[in-house]
Amino acid sequence: MQNKTRKGAVEKLATGIRGFDEVLEGGVPKGRSTLITGASGTGKTVILNEFLYRGIIQFKENGVYVTFEEDKKDIIKNVKNFGWNYNALIAQKKLTFVDAGALKGVIFESGTNYDFSPLIERVKYALKKVKAKRLVMDSIDSLFSRFQNKDAIRQALYQIVAELKDLGVTALLTGEKVGEEKGLTRYGVEEFVADGAIELELIKGQQQFLRRMFVVKFRGIGFRSGIVEFEITDQGLVVYPKIPIERIVAKTDFKIRKAFGIKGLDEILGGGIPLGHMVLISGNTGTGKTMFGMHFLTQGMREGENAVFLALEEPVEQVKKTALVHGWDFNRSEKEGKIRFVSTSLIDIANDKLLYQIVSAVECINAKRVVVDSISTLMSATMNQEQVRQFLVQLVAYFKRKGVTCVMNYLSPVSFGAVRGQLLSSLMTNEIRLSSMTDGIIMLLFVERDQKIKKLLSVLKMRGSEHATEIFSFEIEKGGIKMGEKYKE
Amino acid sequence: MPVKYVLKLYVTGLTPRSQDAVKSLKKILNEDYKGVYSLRVIDVVKHPNLAEDDKILATPTLIKILPPPVRRIIGDLSNKEKVLLGLDLVAVR
Repeated sequence: MQNKTRKGAVEKLATGIRGFDEVLEGGVPKGRSTLITGASGTGKTVILNEFLYRGIIQFKENGVYVTFEEDKKDIIKNVKNFGWNYNALIAQKKLTFVDAGALKGVIFESGTNYDFSPLIERVKYALKKVKAKRLVMDSIDSLFSRFQNKDAIRQALYQIVAELKDLGVTALLTGEKVGEEKGLTRYGVEEFVADGAIELELIKGQQQFLRRMFVVKFRGIGFRSGIVEFEITDQGLVVYPKIPIERIVAKTDFKIRKAFGIKGLDEILGGGIPLGHMVLISGNTGTGKTMFGMHFLTQGMREGENAVFLALEEPVEQVKKTALVHGWDFNRSEKEGKIRFVSTSLIDIANDKLLYQIVSAVECINAKRVVVDSISTLMSATMNQEQVRQFLVQLVAYFKRKGVTCVMNYLSPVSFGAVRGQLLSSLMTNEIRLSSMTDGIIMLLFVERDQKIKKLLSVLKMRGSEHATEIFSFEIEKGGIKMGEKYKE
Repeated sequence: MPVKYVLKLYVTGLTPRSQDAVKSLKKILNEDYKGVYSLRVIDVVKHPNLAEDDKILATPTLIKILPPPVRRIIGDLSNKEKVLLGLDLVAVR
């Protein structure tokens, strides 16, 4: 009994909208009606259009568009921007409209002794005409706003939804959410028309609007909870699903080590970073964090492992230039499909979108090594502490599942750890907080000795693995990092 | 006498409500417009395509096509004054 009500009781229908089906764990409930709600301008109509369009193009499922608001001609014109030719689909009897927008002339209501059976008949007629499997209705509120007899509207909607269920037609209906009022729609239709509801919202960022959606409820149906981001692109909607956290399937292996290719450092680490581990390289500006990352990826490519570099700290071109100085031709590697660079605008970073970009890059070339340069950039950009934490949790979970080994750079404000014993005490709270998510921490520090600034390295933590605990000096030379002696006072 | 008033009445099936609407309307029209009107009664169950063309959402809906302007009344057709007002017609008498 319990299982039945919790999951699998209702079949899902894939919408075909990128990312959307993943969020819904397969799609919308098949043969049911789902409400899309949100304030005006949140993208409700785009979802409806794409649901119909993808249905026809990808799944050979014909569709009916019931419009109470926009003119049929305007809808056809609007979707042309996405390159979708509705006129052709109409001619091929794959799509049809129930055009029920407001009329220009005066309509006189004489009492409330009327019903909406023509609407029902028209919907039935349209469904039959194209043998529809999908239907959309936009929007229920505009129908309500035009007629006095609200009960008759409710009754008609109820009958239409029942008819759709009988015919096994899957529907998306829109309703308008007004302010922070209780309920999902102005007229409270969600209670009787929909088995599920998805709410859309538009958030003001610093430079642009961020679109978000979340599943409000799905009766007895599984879905991925939480807010997800989406975008309206020139090819339609892209939803950025969160990465599911499945710790059980972690592909980590202590026996397999991923070397940096830096003589001395790999020995300190016991051969390198264990497969599937995430290591934080912490240090102030100029300590060489990015350089360690470059070594790590170059060594990987040398061993036939593809790489992804998340360049948040500096522009990709600059990273490539620096690399070239040391003899690493990332441009060529990129052309050969061995490395991919991911970058993003540092204002209004969309968490889920960035994750999606990284995941896409990794999947695309089956990358096994990733460098994130750097986590601190995310923090100083628009992401707050909690967002960064969530971002990392998802990223790390994904990497572990894929067996990707990762180096993440972290800009530590601490620069000088002069005296013995100060190394640890100078650890910042942020690093400690991040520490629970990371498998290892390598600390880079400056030290002032003999009127010179020296660079020091220490492996602070390497989960489940032996490593040297001493402090080592190192230099950045042409050709990369050169490890030095154990550091002595 | 030439037909001066062209009307369409949309109803749903042979329900009592439909039949009442037809009866009431004919009574009103026969009082003042006998011989100069044409009325077409359309059942949306039989002709959903016509309902689609005329964008009919509710029944009964009465449409006055001629003389202009086009007017629509939905709901009760038993009150003569309301019907004529809604159709933008003034009683002859």
